[in-house]
Amino acid sequence: MRLEKCWFCSSTIYPGHGIQFVRNDAKIFRFCRSKCHKNFKMKRNPRKVKWTKAYRRLHGKDVTQDSTFKFERKHNRPERYDRNVTENTLKAIKKIDKVRVAREARHHAMRMKGTKAIEQREAVKELEQSIHMIKAPKALQPKPSLPLPKIKVKVSQPQAKDNMQK
Amino acid sequence: MATRIQFENSCDVGVFSKLTNAYCLVAIGGSESFYSAFEAELADVIPVVKTSIGGTRIIGRLCAGNKNGLLLPHTTTDQELQHLRNSLPDQVVVQRIDERLSALGNCIACNDHVALTHTDLDKETEEVIADVLGVEIFRQTIAGNILVGSNCTFSNRGGLVHPYTSIQELDELSTLLQVPLVAGTVNRGSEVIAAGMIVNDWTAFCGADTTATELSVIESVFKLREAQPSAIVDEMRKSLIDTYV
Repeated sequence: MRLEKCWFCSSTIYPGHGIQFVRNDAKIFRFCRSKCHKNFKMKRNPRKVKWTKAYRRLHGKDVTQDSTFKFERKHNRPERYDRNVTENTLKAIKKIDKVRVAREARHHAMRMKGTKAIEQREAVKELEQSIHMIKAPKALQPKPSLPLPKIKVKVSQPQAKDNMQK
Repeated sequence: MATRIQFENSCDVGVFSKLTNAYCLVAIGGSESFYSAFEAELADVIPVVKTSIGGTRIIGRLCAGNKNGLLLPHTTTDQELQHLRNSLPDQVVVQRIDERLSALGNCIACNDHVALTHTDLDKETEEVIADVLGVEIFRQTIAGNILVGSNCTFSNRGGLVHPYTSIQELDELSTLLQVPLVAGTVNRGSEVIAAGMIVNDWTAFCGADTTATELSVIESVFKLREAQPSAIVDEMRKSLIDTYV
């Protein structure tokens, strides 16, 4: 049993899922679900379809080159079974997974850095310009029916503090 | 010494087994008498390994190898690959190759020094073969047939080719491979030599249908008889091999 990758979206294909297509030139295409299979039959290029891993890698949305990826390659020249090597490999797999996930998260954070400031500025602008969508312009004007105009007076705080200390 | 055996009532023993100077592969699922025939001859000399390739039993036609290495098709599963690596001696390099023509046993005929390959084999595959098996490669056809691996078998001491091979071609191949070649049949006139028999430098196994005449030809061309009265062999050869021009 081998967990293959979908040719279209690059997700893992678990046993019992998907379809394999063998072309006349003996190239094998594996698909994880009918969505990918149908897209393939429509001759869509996965590098242009936004939700596939191929697109995301090509457009820099996901990590492209990483030393953790070379562990997952298909190896054609096996080594003799050694119990210690197997034990160490199993431990290493867990660690490599953690490292890979951390690196992907870091890449995502780097990509999203600076968006908070932009969002803040946009929010302020929107508040200025589009407040009429929420509150009617007349409601924003100061009300003339009030007897006295509103005047802001600064109140000193230290008295309250002295009370607290006592 | 040539032995006659059967795999599940089939005389095509070259399909279900592979014999080299360093190891012997046999298919699983046969009767114990099949294995015991191999083990009686080979057990203390070379490892006899039971295996499948891609879950199938036709291992003799799918893999190609000699004492230096073993080449497997891309259909071989990881577990089978690991099993072969664990069972074979360390000098034998086990390699799986990605090749469109996946029946490597039908496309590659080799001994320890020279290999004949299918004309349409990839360039990268050719390099891998030269690297893993340590052989010199010739792209050839035999009797107009491109599947050289199934139409001829040769060891380091001799070779048997398709009966319709012309004399010129026989001479040409003989000079390329540097071994004496004979055009003959196996299993009562079957032209697919490699499917009908397996051979290495000191033993051969043929299908149970092989006639005594065919067996004597095999024993003489592969030099399996220690002491042979050469006169008898020469006389037999004249009556056996007709020329197909």
